[in-house]
Amino acid sequence: MDKKKIVLAEDNSTLSLLLKFRLEKEGFELLMAVDGKEAIELIENHNPDLVLTDIMMPFFSGLEVISHMRNKLEVDTPVIVFSSAGQEEMVLKAFNLGANDFMGKPFSPNELVIRVKRLLS
Amino acid sequence: MMYYQYIIDYYNEFPFLVRLIWIISGILFSIIVLLTIYLKLVRSFLRRKDKEIAKFKDDYEASLIEYLYSGNEQEELSEVQKSIILKLKEEVPFKSKRKIIISILYNLMNEVSGEMSDSIKILYYETGLIDYAISRLSNKNWYIIAKGIGELTRFKIDETHDKVAKFINHPRSEVRKGTQLYLVNMFRFEGLKFLNTLSAPLSEWHQVQLLETLQKFDDQQICDIKPWLKSTNDTVVSFAIKLAQIYNQFEVKDVLIELLSHKAKEIRVSVIEVLTHLYGVEAKDMLKANFNELSLDEQISFFALLEKLVIPTDEPFVEKHLFHKNFEIQLLALNILKSINIDKYMGLTNLPKDEKSPAMLKLVNTI
Repeated sequence: MDKKKIVLAEDNSTLSLLLKFRLEKEGFELLMAVDGKEAIELIENHNPDLVLTDIMMPFFSGLEVISHMRNKLEVDTPVIVFSSAGQEEMVLKAFNLGANDFMGKPFSPNELVIRVKRLLS
Repeated sequence: MMYYQYIIDYYNEFPFLVRLIWIISGILFSIIVLLTIYLKLVRSFLRRKDKEIAKFKDDYEASLIEYLYSGNEQEELSEVQKSIILKLKEEVPFKSKRKIIISILYNLMNEVSGEMSDSIKILYYETGLIDYAISRLSNKNWYIIAKGIGELTRFKIDETHDKVAKFINHPRSEVRKGTQLYLVNMFRFEGLKFLNTLSAPLSEWHQVQLLETLQKFDDQQICDIKPWLKSTNDTVVSFAIKLAQIYNQFEVKDVLIELLSHKAKEIRVSVIEVLTHLYGVEAKDMLKANFNELSLDEQISFFALLEKLVIPTDEPFVEKHLFHKNFEIQLLALNILKSINIDKYMGLTNLPKDEKSPAMLKLVNTI
């Protein structure tokens, strides 16, 4: 059975590595991006089953990634956004653009796995 | 050889000024060459250092992830975790490596919660990083102390309360601020007890930061703020007034009313504003009786209070100040009159021109 592909766009390398390790353990294939630009390239080239993206990232923000997916690529791949304290308005914008779920930092990787599984089921 | 001799002779024939310029040019050229070489060396050194840092960061990140995922429920630390701790312990004494380890730990601590955050904290203890942070508190340089306090705050180390709390009246505001934030971050409202002994001023910016920190917590059960309202430190009183407003401290209304006779005008004005927020009707008669002794700012604040807490019996007082010399008070008085006696308010437009302020009249027509 093919592994489900997940694009993870996060500029904090330690957190990326931590989530990669955790999600790979759950049987997913992780495609890593350190900024919004790389995330868009990965989404265009690999057609993932799910996208996990931070809101604040270099080059393109998480909002721009979602906007690109929904308006330019016109794909309805589920998106989970990560937000920090004080980014509540950004989260609302992300939902308006088509995000499916969000997790406020700091978050528990175990909870993320549950949400990922729920969206992919 | 002849050629060089020819150049030297040619140079010697120049006037003194031209020779001087040649000498200066030569010196400057040499300096530029030397600086270019130096710059190249510095750049290559920095690049090498960056590579080393990146390599160490990668190695360390991998170790950290392995540490976080190799725990088990039977024991506090598994064998794998213990071996990783031992490995890191060897790196910690080196300042540059310690700095990288701390930055990685802190970056992750901010992003994950629950068990993982606790595991990171255990790692911070077990590798001895905490001892370096504590030793910073004994340093003679204030900025090292401030960094130490900042680190203990970031890693949520509450055991060092006594060691940190002694800096609450430190001569440097940076250290004081760090100490205050440490206490509030660790002990929430209980941490505010430093206000009892604070003799140094608490700047507006520090106050805002403390309030912002307090609002992050789920438990918003505030402690008794009365002692701070009675503090001899005016900035503490000012901060306590803000707490009274934000946390709706109706039970301190009596103390707030006493503060209406505080020596500092800013505090008296703030108190009127908070009493407005807390529906301090008890203060109204007192302020009305002393209205003429109040400063202009207090008078304006009082009219703002009256606008919210007015009752029909206040009408004569309001009417008396309809033509106050201050336009803001005139405006507030008009608004109040409009709310309690619309007929009288409408009748104001029929006054002879010499009895009314043109600005007020213009406003009446637009309200």
